Amino acid sequence: MRRASALMLTALMVAALSSPVSAYLKLGTKLGTRTVTLKWSQLPIRYFVTDRGTSGVTSTQLQQAVQSAFSTWEGVPTAQISSQFVGFTLATPSSGDGATVIGFQNRPGLDRTLGATSFMIDTTTGAIVESDIFFNSAFSWSVSAQGESGSFDLQSIALHEIGHLHGLAHSAMGETELRPGGRRVIAAEAVMFPIAFSAGTILGRTLRADDIAGIGDIYPSSTYTRNTGSISGKVTKSGKGVLGAHVIAFDMQTQKLVGGFSLSDDGSFVIAGLDPGPHVLRVEPLDDGDIESFFDATLNIDVDFRAQFYNKIIVVPKAGGTGGVELKVVAK
Amino acid sequence: MSVRIRLTAFCFAGAWAAMAATAVAQVYVGHDIPRGGNVEISGGVGWAAGNDLGSISAEETRNTGTGTGPFVLFDADSKMKAAAGLQAHIGMFVSSAVSIEGGVLGARPHVTTQLSGDAESASDLIADETLTRLIIDGSVLFHFTGASFGGGRGVPFVFGGGGYLRDAHEKNEVIDTGHEYHAGAGLHYWTGQGKHRVGIRADGGLSWRTGGADFSGTTRAVPTITGSIAYLF
Repeated sequence: MRRASALMLTALMVAALSSPVSAYLKLGTKLGTRTVTLKWSQLPIRYFVTDRGTSGVTSTQLQQAVQSAFSTWEGVPTAQISSQFVGFTLATPSSGDGATVIGFQNRPGLDRTLGATSFMIDTTTGAIVESDIFFNSAFSWSVSAQGESGSFDLQSIALHEIGHLHGLAHSAMGETELRPGGRRVIAAEAVMFPIAFSAGTILGRTLRADDIAGIGDIYPSSTYTRNTGSISGKVTKSGKGVLGAHVIAFDMQTQKLVGGFSLSDDGSFVIAGLDPGPHVLRVEPLDDGDIESFFDATLNIDVDFRAQFYNKIIVVPKAGGTGGVELKVVAK
Repeated sequence: MSVRIRLTAFCFAGAWAAMAATAVAQVYVGHDIPRGGNVEISGGVGWAAGNDLGSISAEETRNTGTGTGPFVLFDADSKMKAAAGLQAHIGMFVSSAVSIEGGVLGARPHVTTQLSGDAESASDLIADETLTRLIIDGSVLFHFTGASFGGGRGVPFVFGGGGYLRDAHEKNEVIDTGHEYHAGAGLHYWTGQGKHRVGIRADGGLSWRTGGADFSGTTRAVPTITGSIAYLF
């Protein structure tokens, strides 16, 4: 039985969210009493591109930017994914028609949303059966190889949205600052960070370690299974689990940053897809403004604790895991 | 009867005195210093000074127009603490002056990482781990036989060589390997007489290490000293 599900992700809000921390996060949904990871069960992902461009971007350039973004994800050696461009379509990128459609839509009411991804899932298995992406043509777009001042880079935003399309949620690996009219990104180390880099830059065309770990976690290749490891443990405060804490693993040899969240009431977390070797572990709260970009607003996410480091260097084994880490945090 | 007894006793005494004189002459002439073909086995303790393993930063890609350079989330400054270990060598004298040897050194050095400068004001902290270090090396020793002393018992030498460095992180599941080159000077002091002799050996020098547990990608110069009991045959 298939049923349309309204899992609408408002990704890449130009303004609106809050600050730092890391971590890739997988999209999930409740099927009865169990939570399943959203992923495609059938590959390649077959997609259409709308036969409409926008100011400064033709439909062919749109298709090329989308294809480049798919190729970037498919170039991750630790993930096994593939896609196929089926053709241009006059259909709009909206759920329920059985086809995955990617294209521009004019949504001036969404004045802080550059793009969004929606899904239709099989409610018996959690498998994604359709996913649509729209880019908001109310903004100015560019496909220039070097970027174009005042315009958002289409390939960068497509890379982010196609990350969602594959089942990745938002990463919190970034820093923002409050400015008149919203927040601006100071820095980010994940394509899946919810707020885009400024218009004019193409910094968002490159996947970071956090993105790569996340896509490998959902679609692991044999390389992922053989060559990466994980860290697991709990975040606790006064003996009780902390939900929604952000735990960052910093690889001391490669300087890569990959994160995870504590995703249960007992504070359990797992950070997978890590290169073997010594890591520094750091935990911090997710600021209030960020929560709805990462978790259901009904969850009781604990943000009342101080950022801190773990006092041991954690050595991640190859094709294995280091467990039993307990990060004891204290209230602010 | 009494005359014969005295003569016999005298002759024995004379023979013993002659043998003793001969033996002393043989030690001094033949074994004052090791010679080609001698084999030396030694074992003892080694010590290596602490050294920097590099300063690195957890960095994020900075947005345009928000400043210059990467955004630093926090800094990590790592050091290898000084550590003592056990070492053993086996060598062969090619000549009185030159010997070649191979050896192994094992130690359990402590690595500390000072975490500081956190963008979210996390308190500074020192995280640590203990490594299991193994160095397998080969050396050439040149003995200054002309500078020997103590009747040939003490012989200074210089040495140089290189080897393989293996650092196993905690639980021995992750291994970092590298190379080591060393040079220095030392002293052999042999005791006893005859072909089979026991001695002591002490040396000090510098060990240049690349790879292994290191976060800087640079070559580190580490002062080392060793002390051993040596057996020569």
